[in-house]
Amino acid sequence: MSISVKTFASTAEAATALSGDRAARFMGGGTLIMRAVNEGDQSFNTILLANDPALTEIQAQGDRLIIGSRVTMAQILASRDLEFLHPVARAVGGPAIRNMATVGGNLFAEHPYGDLTAALLVLDCQVTLAGGQTSTLPDLLRDRTREPRVLVASVSIVRPQSGIFKFRKVSRVKPKGVSLMTIAAWIPQSGGRVSGARVAYSSMGPTPMRVQAVEQALEGATLDETGVGNALSAATSGIEPPTDAIASSWYRREVAPVHLKRTLLGG
Amino acid sequence: MSVEFRKELFADERDDNLNEIGKGTQRQDALGHVTGRSPYFDDHLFDGLLQIRCVRSPHHHARIRSVDFSQAANMPGVVKVIRPDDVPNNFNTLLSLLNFGRDDEALLSSKKVSYVGEPVLAIIASSDRQARDAVAAVKVDWEVLPHVLDVEEALKPDAPVVNEVYPNNSFDYHEKYDHQKLRYGDVETAFAQADKIIEGRYQMSPIEQAPVETNGAIAAPETNDRFVCYTSTQALFFSLGTAGKLLNVSSNRLHFIGGTVGGGFGGKVDSLVEPMAILGCMLTGKPCRFVWDREEEMQVGAPRGAERWYLKDGVMNDGRIIARQFTGYFDAGAYTRLSSYAIIKCTGHLPGPYHIPNVKSDVYCVFTNRTPATAMRGFGVTGVDFAIECQMDKIAHEVGMNPVEFRILNAYRDGDMKAHRREAKNCALIECAQVAAEKANWPIREEFKQASSMVGGGGERAAIPHTVTDEDGKIGDRRAGRSGGGRTRTIAPSSPAPAPAAYTPPPPPVPPPAAPSPAAQQPSYAHPAAAPAYQPSAAPASQPATPEAPPPAAPAPTPVPAAPSPESSPPSARPVNRPGYSRFASNSGFRRR
Repeated sequence: MSISVKTFASTAEAATALSGDRAARFMGGGTLIMRAVNEGDQSFNTILLANDPALTEIQAQGDRLIIGSRVTMAQILASRDLEFLHPVARAVGGPAIRNMATVGGNLFAEHPYGDLTAALLVLDCQVTLAGGQTSTLPDLLRDRTREPRVLVASVSIVRPQSGIFKFRKVSRVKPKGVSLMTIAAWIPQSGGRVSGARVAYSSMGPTPMRVQAVEQALEGATLDETGVGNALSAATSGIEPPTDAIASSWYRREVAPVHLKRTLLGG
Repeated sequence: MSVEFRKELFADERDDNLNEIGKGTQRQDALGHVTGRSPYFDDHLFDGLLQIRCVRSPHHHARIRSVDFSQAANMPGVVKVIRPDDVPNNFNTLLSLLNFGRDDEALLSSKKVSYVGEPVLAIIASSDRQARDAVAAVKVDWEVLPHVLDVEEALKPDAPVVNEVYPNNSFDYHEKYDHQKLRYGDVETAFAQADKIIEGRYQMSPIEQAPVETNGAIAAPETNDRFVCYTSTQALFFSLGTAGKLLNVSSNRLHFIGGTVGGGFGGKVDSLVEPMAILGCMLTGKPCRFVWDREEEMQVGAPRGAERWYLKDGVMNDGRIIARQFTGYFDAGAYTRLSSYAIIKCTGHLPGPYHIPNVKSDVYCVFTNRTPATAMRGFGVTGVDFAIECQMDKIAHEVGMNPVEFRILNAYRDGDMKAHRREAKNCALIECAQVAAEKANWPIREEFKQASSMVGGGGERAAIPHTVTDEDGKIGDRRAGRSGGGRTRTIAPSSPAPAPAAYTPPPPPVPPPAAPSPAAQQPSYAHPAAAPAYQPSAAPASQPATPEAPPPAAPAPTPVPAAPSPESSPPSARPVNRPGYSRFASNSGFRRR
């Protein structure tokens, strides 16, 4: 059977087609789907596209930003509103990949991809599906390989105040290597102490994830060498890092506190 | 990094008007690469190009009871199914072009498979995806057989037979032995006289060449009943000859066009894709493309083969190695490909770049149910070099010598006789070791700094010693449980040398390690790395004073006469012009290169 490509004017139609056909995949930018096509992936035979302009829009709504699921990394880099995400978008691939890779695709990208998703996890991301339903990002990630597949229309994130949002991608090859681990953190402080921290990893499990043990250890801590000690001790608590071509599980576990410390304290 | 020349070394041995090295020379293909214009085989996309994919074995070892492709043949886009019977001459060995070894491998196997990924059927379809879908629809009834993946297990009498052409699971050397022999001097007598016996076991894993461009070829009909084949091959005429043989066509009907190879490193000489693409073209009359995907490149692309080595050295307390014995096992995988040749090349390299007067080696080319092994940069030599150099460090540690000084002491000098009976020329290990030690701030004593490859060789060291030979390991003995030939004999040396019974260790090269000065009795180096500390051993008191370096021995006469046939000559030694057990090149005329 050959691959067939279906293009829809509306996101809702594409979502219906997607949920009704296990052998269909929705293509955001094509960095993963087209690679699979070229490698002869026989798990799907239909590619769905949607031309809905709303999917490629970036809108500011109060202190939140709505990003269409087909917005590319290159568009993020061109957006002043999303300046805080520029280091994140720049960490994804090279220019050619960033011209194709989309926000929605990143949510469904399998390990070791998903650097942007780690950032979204700490930016209080709300997900809006093609039918208008909403979901939290952790729920979406948990269910992302389940049938029927859902189509994400947009994500909504909060605009961080200066200095609160931190991001670090660790890779063997710079600047374009895949992630050994990616760390995103949202570290608000009150009276010199951390209050309401959010920390997320990518490439440290089957999907990007929040790291509750670290978040709890940071609560009330001062943002200095002594203060983050407990958080570093808890860096991989409850986590089973994967072994892949980039690093072993053991190695990821060993270096996680080092990179977490650099993310939190700089350097 | 600037390049530093040591032109004073070997100045008399080469014309040293270097006009390229050390200068910024642009690669001739760089412009094409950076502008995306270098032509690869895969740039020749004909209209209506058909795609070929193979049905492959999921088992290490299995008999093929039946193959049902009725459903696959009727699937959309499928143009033709290529069966083993469609291959005009479906049996080959790569080196048959050089008359070395027996045909042992099919392009498509019909009776049995001996490694995971072995192809049994090929599908030609209009698109790659259609070919893949049809491949998935082929039903093969496999009878899974016991398999063997370890070289020493494979040589046991009860091991499964991997390759029916070589039912002893080992390549037949010189139509006589199940291994490649090297005999030089008398290791057993020397072992008995050595101060220390040091043994080691070393294992190397297979290495995939991992080119960015996978193996592939595109073939199309040409005028005058010819076929054009664009290919990624590293060895154009080798691939042409192989395709001509498998397809039973004269090579003048094949028009091979190479060009840019997208990475090869030895992984693109096996010529498996070209015959298949041309065959597809012959059977359909249409242009056909056969390209491995990445998974195939990793799984069925032949790697550098694994090797296992056992080394046994007889060493004197002053650090001289007087005997070295090798037992090596090359894992050829399921078929010969180039492993048989790797061993010939390897044996010519033994015992490494060191003057050792007694050397014995048995190297086996073993068939296992692994992916067949093939060429990769320096194959046949790099593996055993790893073993040798690990062993050298081990010996240096055990005799308490600085490992660099230990290498300089034992290194070949110009004029030394090598174990395969060629004179050592243009030796440079000593100079390399001196420069490496200097660059690494690794202290060596003055007399080792003064040593030279051009001094101390030849003379007695050029003499071919009494050589003890044997007929152990005749083809089939091991599997039949017979204990080998057992007959041994000695061959007289080429020039006066101690008889085996009166064996004495060879003289050390010039200069001998001088009696250390009081200062030198302290450890003469203290490297920050965790190198073993050692006490330099004093030279034996009986060591002779340094003689003038004798001139290098005259070159050995060539060509080497064939070894006397044991069947036609009595076991007693008879006069031969050239001592030695067997000529190095095989009796097929295949020469080392």
